[in-house]
Amino acid sequence: MMDDFEKQLQAALGRKEPSPFFEARVLGAAKREARDRRASIRMWWASAVAAILIVAAGSAWQHQRSEQAREDAAGRDAKARLEVALRITSVKLQKISQKVEGI
Amino acid sequence: MKFAMPVLLGILPLAAQDIKMPANLDRLEAKASEVVNVQLDGALIQLASRFLSDKDPDEAHVKRLVGGLKGIYVKSFEFDERGQYSMSDVEELRAQLRAPLWARIVGASSKKKGENSEVYLKTEAGQITGLAIIVTDPKELTIVSIVGSIRPEDIRDLGGHMGIPKIDFETKKDKKDKEDDK
Repeated sequence: MMDDFEKQLQAALGRKEPSPFFEARVLGAAKREARDRRASIRMWWASAVAAILIVAAGSAWQHQRSEQAREDAAGRDAKARLEVALRITSVKLQKISQKVEGI
Repeated sequence: MKFAMPVLLGILPLAAQDIKMPANLDRLEAKASEVVNVQLDGALIQLASRFLSDKDPDEAHVKRLVGGLKGIYVKSFEFDERGQYSMSDVEELRAQLRAPLWARIVGASSKKKGENSEVYLKTEAGQITGLAIIVTDPKELTIVSIVGSIRPEDIRDLGGHMGIPKIDFETKKDKKDKEDDK
């Protein structure tokens, strides 16, 4: 009974030669894993750069839009002031003409 | 050189304005019931021009008109009471409008109403380079200074355009003609 058990144990724990392509398979698996890791890092970097570019482009667009809006507001304000100035000047000159012509 | 630039930058706005608005006019703002204070330098006029349409005939006309201007400065005060300003407030301005550069082309006054209107033109090398208008009456003081190439009639004729009222007036000859027709 004991002998059978020892034999089984020896058979289970005994040294076995690896299969012929074992080393190649292990090295291949290690290379694949390293390649996948590098690809994953490259993908992460690409995603990070893309995200930074998107944020920078969005920020630049927003800045340009607000600058444009500010310039539009300043332009409309200047136009309104120009109209007020021309209205006052024109009315005064018309009244002066009226006085001169009426003499 | 270090000091030249700030001094130059300090002088430039005054040079652009051409006429220096008397400082004591600012204190009139507190007494006036209505105040209009417009200050447009060359850059602001150009900015405003960009917002004037080329397709609208009135706006296109104004755009051409203001194209050669370097500054428009208007100060207008209306008072509820008479005598809120003194003529010395205006004299400081008149003192700047002297020959040979400046010439008073119109002076109309009414002793009865206490009104006085003056138009001055600045001429350099045969070209008009400035226009100044001073209108005073007991309850109003208006000063206009325009720097650049402009003819008074061009601005006067804006009446009826761009929301600027056109003042219809009858000359004595018109009145006489009407009376003769009756």
